[in-house]
Amino acid sequence: MTGELVKTGLKHINRLNLNMEINVLFFGVLAEVTGTSGKYYRGIKSFGDLRHRIEDDFPEIVHYNFRIAVNNEIINDEPLLSPDDEIAYLPPFAGG
Amino acid sequence: MHLINGPVHISKISEIIAKASDNKESGAHSLFLGQVRRDHIEGKYVSAIEYSAYEEMVIMEANKINKSILSEFSNVKSIEILHSKGLVKTGEISLLVMISAGHRQDAINACSKAVELIKEKLPIWKKEIFEDNSEQWQEND
Repeated sequence: MTGELVKTGLKHINRLNLNMEINVLFFGVLAEVTGTSGKYYRGIKSFGDLRHRIEDDFPEIVHYNFRIAVNNEIINDEPLLSPDDEIAYLPPFAGG
Repeated sequence: MHLINGPVHISKISEIIAKASDNKESGAHSLFLGQVRRDHIEGKYVSAIEYSAYEEMVIMEANKINKSILSEFSNVKSIEILHSKGLVKTGEISLLVMISAGHRQDAINACSKAVELIKEKLPIWKKEIFEDNSEQWQEND
């Protein structure tokens, strides 16, 4: 009985959170450094997984200051991602 | 809040002043214009700034700024914010903030606060372009 519950629970989590498609945007100096304004990632399992894949693709970004926004909101903690979230890498602002 | 391509032209500034004057409840308009400065850095002069923006987030953050100004200064009647994207040459205007209020002190203080929030909160980036065509990313203090 317990086993079944756990299994159902896992299936549920799998449907919600595993193998997500996430759009990642780069701005300012980071668009220049990565050579792109954005990249679409498939099969993302978590925010940590996404960050690793981004840093594998664009290792130079770790040398820059940036904050990360999820769906236009700057995050401070590691967020739970949902399918079709938009992630943005934001260098220090310079408006005005 | 509007992001506009290139500089804020004088005709646009006049239009905004005329529009603000339609509100007869206002007794004061405070207008701030940000201009691209011909900075001198390491022997080179800036000739232009190229602005880029995360447009969707700029609009969302600008709405938050509006709400925060309206709640802090109850006397404010209207807020207009224009910011450039793309290329703006030295001497041209890249930011306009105009706040109308019942009385001068609220208009002046709210305008000053709005400018600070714009620089702090809006996801906008600028690259200085020098007279020799070299470039450098800049950030706000």
